[in-house]
Amino acid sequence: MKPQPTFNLSLTINGNPWSGEVPVEESLLEFLRFRLRLTGTKRSCESEVCGACTVLVDNRPVSSCNYLAFEAHERSVLSIEGIAQGDKLDPLQEAFIRNIGAQCGYCTPGQIMAAKSLLMENPSPTREQIAKWLAGNICRCGAYGAIAQSILEAAQEYRKREV
Amino acid sequence: MLGSLQLLQPTTVDEASGALRDFAERGKIYAGGAEMLLLMRHGFLQSEILVDVKKIERLHRIARENGTLSVGACVTHHTLELNPLVREHAASFAAAESQVANVRVRNQGTLGGNLCFNDPHSDPGTVLLIHNSTVTLGSQRGERQLPLKDFFVDVYETALEPDEVMLDVQIPALPSGMMSTYLRLHRFQRPTLGVAAAVKMNRGTIAESRLAVGCIGPKCQRLPELETKITGTQLDEAKRIVAEQKNHLRQRLQPVDDLLGSADYKLYMTGILLGDALEQAASPSFPLDGGRLG
Repeated sequence: MKPQPTFNLSLTINGNPWSGEVPVEESLLEFLRFRLRLTGTKRSCESEVCGACTVLVDNRPVSSCNYLAFEAHERSVLSIEGIAQGDKLDPLQEAFIRNIGAQCGYCTPGQIMAAKSLLMENPSPTREQIAKWLAGNICRCGAYGAIAQSILEAAQEYRKREV
Repeated sequence: MLGSLQLLQPTTVDEASGALRDFAERGKIYAGGAEMLLLMRHGFLQSEILVDVKKIERLHRIARENGTLSVGACVTHHTLELNPLVREHAASFAAAESQVANVRVRNQGTLGGNLCFNDPHSDPGTVLLIHNSTVTLGSQRGERQLPLKDFFVDVYETALEPDEVMLDVQIPALPSGMMSTYLRLHRFQRPTLGVAAAVKMNRGTIAESRLAVGCIGPKCQRLPELETKITGTQLDEAKRIVAEQKNHLRQRLQPVDDLLGSADYKLYMTGILLGDALEQAASPSFPLDGGRLG
């Protein structure tokens, strides 16, 4: 066996298949932002602490800054660009707008993706469960109250749609 | 950004160990990458070749046999936090896993990676110590088992040989009637202090106990002298004894000053949290959910 400097990557990104060769050291964040020009995912602490770069891999949240792109091989990646259905925003996006769940907005894509994964695992979270799940998503403006409220309202909307 | 890397994905322990031997300093074991990639990005660790051990099937196994739970080294924290078998077998371990860093790190980081990295500011090791856990290490030379307490050597230092891979962690059940808890003190995502306690009560007195403390010094440790001292005492007496052991704890745990607090503060809080943990393990209704903020 010989070590390889590149990886033949195949994955789905926001529902679309993508294949190609990537360097082993390329992070998922670099892959999304520089290769695919999907710049909704933000780079910030680069230490897996702040959550601004959160995307979902097979519906689980990861810090794309510290997650090598090749790890997403044969998996499905969901970023903030992929959650609206055409022109119809995701209930989380609508609720964040309605409640002004942001001030500067830099952390918002990460907050929404983290919330999205929470609602997939637990469709009826309490405010406390929201706080625990999103403890690793920092909002330096301090919009936490509105963020939590947005997630509670979006959860309700999701549940209504499922009925 | 990371420097150029090459990838090797062995499917057997033999191949992985052979690669580690052949590439020596140029190669490093890569599992979840949660800690390792950070170190590399910040220039604290250099590696040219990632030896990705996640393709080795055995490293993902969770199984219970003869009262001992075996957890593969590549099982993630998130899996451990939710796995019903783990929660039933070692409830306080599962609870500790649910407090590791944040949900993204728990999805990516593995138990083996965490133990082999041996960052003092970590949760799982402390609670595994009160289960008298052992680790299995494998290489081309064969397998060996080591008590976890001997696996941890010093800050970021373990007994893992350069050509060895951690295969699994064995977690024996606690003796029947013994209840345990894990409490942590944290200001943010990394713990300042972690305390694990297990006690078996007999008509109001402590028949048997196990205590472990992590995060404040070079490595997490059991406190065998203190365990002996509180055996046969009532809970209030035990808490008083624990609170009076500052000198003993200082000597044993070697607390350090750092950004999370002074050594004195950490020692003081160790006494408090040990008392809380004893109380909670003795009476599971004691209202402390997971720890204190500080």
